[in-house]
Amino acid sequence: MNLKKKLIPVLIAPLFVGLTFSGQALANDSEELEKLRQLVQELDQKLKVLDRKGELAEEAAAAKKKETPVVKAGTGGFSFASADGKNEIKFRGIIQADHREFLDGASEVRARTNDRAGTQNSEGFHDADSTSLLRRVRPTIEGKINDKYAFRFTPEFGGGSASVVDAYVDANLNPAFNLRAGKFKSFVGLERLQGAGDIKFLERSYVTNAILPNRDLGVAVYGSVLDKKLDYAFGIVNGVADGGNIATGTEYNGEREYTGRLFASPFKDDISVLSGLSFGIGATYTDFTGDKNLNFTDTSAADATRNGLPSYVTEGQNTFFRYGSGVIADGQRIRWSPQASYYLGPLGIIAEYARVSQDVSKASGGSVAAGGDGSNTVITSGSNKKLDHDAWNIGVSYLLTGEDASFKGVKPKNDFDIDKGGWGAWELVARYSEINLDENTFKDANGDYRRDANDASYSNTNSAYADLTKSAKSAQTWTTGVNWYLNQNAKFAINYAHTSFDGGAIVGGGTGSGITTTGSNVKDRPDEKAVLARFQVTF
Amino acid sequence: MKKSLLHVSLLAALVFAPIAQAADITLLNVSYDPTRELYQDYNTAFSKYWKAKTGDNVTIKASHGGSGKQARAIIDGLDADVATLALAYDVDQLYEKGKLIPKDWQKRLGHNSAPYTSTIVFLVRKGNPKKIKDWNDVIKPGVSVITPNPKTSGGARWNYLAAWAYALKNNNNDEAKAKEFVAKLFKNVPVLDTGARGATTTFVERGIGDVLLAWENEAFLAQKELGPDKFEIVVPSLSILAEPTVTVVDKVVDKRKTRAVATAYLEYLYSEEGQEIAAQNYYRPTLESVAKKYEKSFPKVNLIKIDEVFGGWQKAQKTHFADGGTFDEIYQK
Repeated sequence: MNLKKKLIPVLIAPLFVGLTFSGQALANDSEELEKLRQLVQELDQKLKVLDRKGELAEEAAAAKKKETPVVKAGTGGFSFASADGKNEIKFRGIIQADHREFLDGASEVRARTNDRAGTQNSEGFHDADSTSLLRRVRPTIEGKINDKYAFRFTPEFGGGSASVVDAYVDANLNPAFNLRAGKFKSFVGLERLQGAGDIKFLERSYVTNAILPNRDLGVAVYGSVLDKKLDYAFGIVNGVADGGNIATGTEYNGEREYTGRLFASPFKDDISVLSGLSFGIGATYTDFTGDKNLNFTDTSAADATRNGLPSYVTEGQNTFFRYGSGVIADGQRIRWSPQASYYLGPLGIIAEYARVSQDVSKASGGSVAAGGDGSNTVITSGSNKKLDHDAWNIGVSYLLTGEDASFKGVKPKNDFDIDKGGWGAWELVARYSEINLDENTFKDANGDYRRDANDASYSNTNSAYADLTKSAKSAQTWTTGVNWYLNQNAKFAINYAHTSFDGGAIVGGGTGSGITTTGSNVKDRPDEKAVLARFQVTF
Repeated sequence: MKKSLLHVSLLAALVFAPIAQAADITLLNVSYDPTRELYQDYNTAFSKYWKAKTGDNVTIKASHGGSGKQARAIIDGLDADVATLALAYDVDQLYEKGKLIPKDWQKRLGHNSAPYTSTIVFLVRKGNPKKIKDWNDVIKPGVSVITPNPKTSGGARWNYLAAWAYALKNNNNDEAKAKEFVAKLFKNVPVLDTGARGATTTFVERGIGDVLLAWENEAFLAQKELGPDKFEIVVPSLSILAEPTVTVVDKVVDKRKTRAVATAYLEYLYSEEGQEIAAQNYYRPTLESVAKKYEKSFPKVNLIKIDEVFGGWQKAQKTHFADGGTFDEIYQK
């Protein structure tokens, strides 16, 4: 339109000037005038057509923009979505390169010669091995279809083998009602629900890693109600051992495990010191009475969950507790876990407690001890016992560079940039975490301390569920550290973790001596002192 | 105590019963370009009628655009309770591509689900400076013709077929000559809008072109709004009976539980009041009594029918407007 307005006068003016001043001869030539008039009209039409075509092109471009898929590449990953945002696929990922430097500590439970090569020290331990490793290598594809149906697929390539971490579909029918099916994080523990890239410490606490379930297969309903002040989740899943990450299907028993969690943030909309306070409780229940999948070969680390029971590891990921080989989960398993978090400015606190009541029995038979098609498994009469283990932790973080702490990751106010002088975000962290096992774990039916059934010289009837001179009955860990967020995607973290134990070793050392019935020759496993470092990139 | 509670409950039920019964309903009518004014009037009338009949409040939202584009939008998920499109082929697509309606949708309402009809006429500038009287005038060199794109506009397809039918009639049904005729026509088209309303804007507001090939109702409307001193309507010797068709979109009304009101909405188009509103908006009514009343408002035209000349919409679409069809061959700009 502007083009027309500018050009028409320019074109018309000379014509009329010509008409006015060209003299009587031209004025009288009506044929010539008519030609000029037609020429002006033609030019006028051509300009109008050009203008209109421009308008239509703009309209078409605007309409096309509404239909053109949106491609994004940014700090939140890479994605392409339909113009209306209802359909989307995202590519995300996390890579964590770790180094563990052990200043002191042992690598396994005492005197485990059956599955470890090398020489034990005089205490019957192998030294904890300092090592570099890829802790997590997880590309993720996630997306949504028609705005309501979502999926996530996350494989794991860290640790030298490939496995599926998450593979689930969501039906997001309403903020108050969503359905999830597949393999996913159990809706139980608070720290477990925090993203692997967002956790404040290199390893999660005993509550999360030792007691509560990790990932399981099944279905869950979840949602937020009461103005999103109350989150709820209920699930029916296969059931995994403490800290367990289910492999592909039924692990141990056909019984379902029921999970539930309520988590409230009642002051979230207030402007007060309580606005960052959230608290709740999670729980699980199952009953393994009945048939069990006992076709496991051993209770070594790889097969620990095949007897329905866990082994427990330190912050440096060294096993300090393991059930005896003839012990199986038999009966109920009930977990409950009160939990809370608090954020105020740069300060963040997470606190959790978890308790598991686990029914166990001793069993004998070919498949229990040796695997394969051995003799039938027989549960030892009178050996059933309920064991109560618990753990708790409190972790504090403080951002030194002015950012606000949150349950999610940290976005530095100034990214690290040598040229521009930005230093990223710096955060100090500290945590106390401990786990305590039921004393009866280490005793026989008469209440006497006993070796576990790994020792062939003891029968099932008078052995313990675990040997206190090999496995510790509690661990206490102090962890301090620094997180350096170079930007939203890159983080350096270093932790120092000092763990001390109750039990787990024998006075005099060696491998052959047995625990006395009073436990008088038990001594503590050597402290673990570990420096854990990580460079992490998420997108 | 129990009695008191019972009384309070009954009283509350009596007080709130009428309020609880009156429902608020919304309908979406996805229509083609030039029906804006028609449905603006009709929606108001229907809301009153429905309120009086049922007590429910019904609000009708309308969406307008090129007929083909509108059909595509419904197939792609636009929740139209009713579709009132420019031609049966576009409504057919709701079955063919989306299975949103049954195959025999056209049998559900009278006159093959075409409650009103129209035709194609010429709108020219006052005084008809290019002396355009019939179709053979619009293909003359130097005549600038405005019509929308047949790929996206239902009205444009009617324009195209009317010209083709004229050429066939005047060339002993010689298809090659008809093709040549229509090619010449489109050679005179300087700009293609996506819909009929856009083409009207091009001709009327932007001042482009010597003749607008227009829906009869659109031509009357332009003349009414801008004055007979600016435009004249020229009725060609032959034109085409344009039958805009309507349907309830079954999958949507079942999902939204609006079938009853959506059906009534379309049925009311056939009522005396509905037909009056159509006629007042320059659509030719199908109800005989109303048609007779407005007889003088509509010029007599020799109207051909698409089924007779082109073998129906499916065939016409495939031959002329599908990708690689005749229109693609002749319009190489």
